[in-house]
Amino acid sequence: MAHQGSFEIEGVVKESLPNTLFRVELTNGAIILCHLSGKMRMNFIKILPGDKVRVEMTPYDKEKGRIIYRFK
Amino acid sequence: MIKFKTEKEIEIMRQSGKILAEVLEELIANVKAGISEIELDRMAERLIIAKGGEPGFKKVEGYNNTICISTNDVVVHGIPTNYVLEAGDKVGIDCGVFYKGFHTDMAQTTVIKGEKNQEEVIKFLQTGEKAMWAGIEAAKLGNRIGDISKAMQDIVESQGGYSVVRSLIGHGVGRELHEDPEVPGFLDRPILRTPLLKEGMTIAIEIIYNMGKSDVVYSGNDGWTIKSKDGSLSGLFERSIAITKRGTEVLTRK
Repeated sequence: MAHQGSFEIEGVVKESLPNTLFRVELTNGAIILCHLSGKMRMNFIKILPGDKVRVEMTPYDKEKGRIIYRFK
Repeated sequence: MIKFKTEKEIEIMRQSGKILAEVLEELIANVKAGISEIELDRMAERLIIAKGGEPGFKKVEGYNNTICISTNDVVVHGIPTNYVLEAGDKVGIDCGVFYKGFHTDMAQTTVIKGEKNQEEVIKFLQTGEKAMWAGIEAAKLGNRIGDISKAMQDIVESQGGYSVVRSLIGHGVGRELHEDPEVPGFLDRPILRTPLLKEGMTIAIEIIYNMGKSDVVYSGNDGWTIKSKDGSLSGLFERSIAITKRGTEVLTRK
């Protein structure tokens, strides 16, 4: 059975929650719960509210995402 | 997270794959004008249970059939209906077997002989199958998922002039039907940024492609059936393989 691939979408961080969770407002208007990707954690990249980020999402759960890049 | 399988687990998957390959071969042999989609679905269920397995797709939440049948412009996940197959129909069957805790996944597409010239469709299907085998060829220790994707995309798009569907992908297979990693039939990032193929990885390599453009849409209201947006024919070929130190092994074979 074929699987639907994950996709990337951009958004702006609205608030930061404990345990590197963030509420992000996506370009399509939806506000979802995102966590920080392991690679960003390892490289000590900080995310603050107001940052523009790239989020990876699966079509199987539209409420969650993973922040994989922070724009300058 | 990619789950690596032990030799013993791969052996169980080999048996699961053997059941699936035998069942799918018999199903494809029965794809003729006059048989209905739902009859093929029941046949699949009977055969799988008779051989000691369980229909893998029934374990997917929300799916209640044993096979996914893709007639004509249906790309994937066609729920079997009472539709009776006709001469000239393109029919793709996707099936899965769950055996002793492990899934295997396999798909094959064929076309029913009709009166009109079917050269174009036959060439379309041959290209897809060739692409799948090229992808399996590229799936060796030391290569990356991207090498598989590139091999398949090259044959379908560059050589064939068809388009690989972008929103559907192959996947890891094992205790779950769909596991990490994602195995797309197209390159969406540099090969070096795709996962490395390591011993113990079991993946379902599938090529999902359209004769026309790559866009697909949900069709009807069943929440599953996906058709090509421009109504063009779609092809689907899939095998489950394991990466072992002795080389790449196709699990879904007799």
